[in-house]
Amino acid sequence: MIKKQRVINRVVQWIITGVVSFFILFPLFWIFISSITPAGELFNTPIDYIPNHPTLDSYTFLIQNVGLIEKVMSTIVIVGITIVLSTIICIMAAYAFSRFNSKALTIAFVFILLSMLIPDVVTARPLYEFMKNTGLYDTYTGLIILYISAVIPFTVIILRGFVGEIPYSLEEAAAIDGATFIQTLFWITMPLLKPAIATVAIINFVTCLNNFFTPLFFSNNIQVLSTAITQLPLRDNMYAVPWDLVSAMGWIIILPIILFVAIFEKQIMDGIMAGGVKA
Amino acid sequence: MLMKKNRIWMAWLLILPVLVIRGFTTVYPVFQTIRNSFYDIKLLRGINEFAGLTNYIEVFQDGKVKTSIEFTLIFVVVSMFFHIVLGIVLALILNMKFKGKRYLRTIILIPWAMPTVVIGMAAKWAFNNDYGLINDFVRWFVPSFQMNWLIHTNTARLSVIAMDLWKDLPFFAILILSGLQFISNDIYEAASVDGANKVKAFFYITLPMIMRNVLTISIPFTMWRLVMFDLVYAMTSGGPGEDTALIAYRITTETFTNLNIGYGSALAVMLFGVMVIISWINLKLVRKLAY
Repeated sequence: MIKKQRVINRVVQWIITGVVSFFILFPLFWIFISSITPAGELFNTPIDYIPNHPTLDSYTFLIQNVGLIEKVMSTIVIVGITIVLSTIICIMAAYAFSRFNSKALTIAFVFILLSMLIPDVVTARPLYEFMKNTGLYDTYTGLIILYISAVIPFTVIILRGFVGEIPYSLEEAAAIDGATFIQTLFWITMPLLKPAIATVAIINFVTCLNNFFTPLFFSNNIQVLSTAITQLPLRDNMYAVPWDLVSAMGWIIILPIILFVAIFEKQIMDGIMAGGVKA
Repeated sequence: MLMKKNRIWMAWLLILPVLVIRGFTTVYPVFQTIRNSFYDIKLLRGINEFAGLTNYIEVFQDGKVKTSIEFTLIFVVVSMFFHIVLGIVLALILNMKFKGKRYLRTIILIPWAMPTVVIGMAAKWAFNNDYGLINDFVRWFVPSFQMNWLIHTNTARLSVIAMDLWKDLPFFAILILSGLQFISNDIYEAASVDGANKVKAFFYITLPMIMRNVLTISIPFTMWRLVMFDLVYAMTSGGPGEDTALIAYRITTETFTNLNIGYGSALAVMLFGVMVIISWINLKLVRKLAY
């Protein structure tokens, strides 16, 4: 009786898993199939889920005519530098907020917290004019500053929580042994923060990759993948959406994401949940 | 508390970069936008003069804005309703103990990690009447099915909400899951000894215990929906007509396309006001629930 119940349970669990997987993976499979289907055959109904004439034509077109490689490179540069710099300055800030205490510091922390409330659309136009006037518009520097700004509140809040969990006695011991403040921060605190830093960096990587608002309004010639996919050219026989190219570029973005999520599943889950608990 | 007072300058030095970047990208632009909202600035016609409250008054006579607010409200309410209901269901599924747990959690993270614009662009084609995935799928069951989703107001709005759920529901569920995991198994065992079945256990134990968590995480999700921009940008461009132009989309259209900056700023200030009010209510609510 109990055994039978267990079998039923297991079957139900796998059916649910199947349904959830279908809803999430089938559209992705369809995007992939579309990307290797010749443009003309995308108009076949019903859809050929196994393409008759698989081709990499859309991908070659993206590389040769749309500058795909260049866009991948600028995305890597912007996201990479953002992650490195934002992590460094946020560790410094998180450390200060956790280890020092004064009224003014609390106000500064609350300011960073509350600044999360300000919608991008409120700041966009004045920032746009500021960037134009200072020559930061459409530059890597300008974009990276804005990307960093976007991840600061989350990163500082999460890291501050983690720094708080490190016993202060370790730093005191180091200080007694003659370590300077900076040495303590880099050789004692930072190594202990490694798992937290990895988690935050992984989540920020996704946030930056998803950032669309910033590159859309603050750059023109520099294109990252998220803006590039909305500006693909219509080829001769397509209408409304260049689905041949969109699906190919979509898959170029989706594939690394699937691998990334599969590798870092645990860290991502921990990171999201840490955010959830602290929220 | 821990460090000597005289080294507080060190703390300020450490937070300086964060403070400068954050301040420069938020404080100054917010004040500029507030100032602009009292001016009549139309770059296309070279107008830039003080206008008092004209922009704010105009908002209430603008049909396009009315449509935007209407859809934003529908979008937020309907989407959040399904986030909460389906999110709890999905969280319970994710909390099941079985061999496929890790696989399921990995799958669920994919929509969260995908850029919204990619989803929006794909959705534009997926909801196409003739060649899209959605109708192809429906035709497995109803062969003669015809529906041009993004052309009619109601179906276009429904499609946008559906895609929003596809993208963010898994994320919401994971956050609920973080609360679920704190409920110890002992409580369920005690309940089952007392003769409570699974359904009863859910309504009398699980739900009350996660409700505070669900409400807390609903606040940022509500706010993100209020300022949602990329999905409609990629998927419908606000169409048909203006029927899916969420308020954030409307604001960027005014400030960046129509270059009607004073008016767009007034809208932005009002949106910001709504955000502040919601978070203030949230603060009160959380405090009340804490007791």
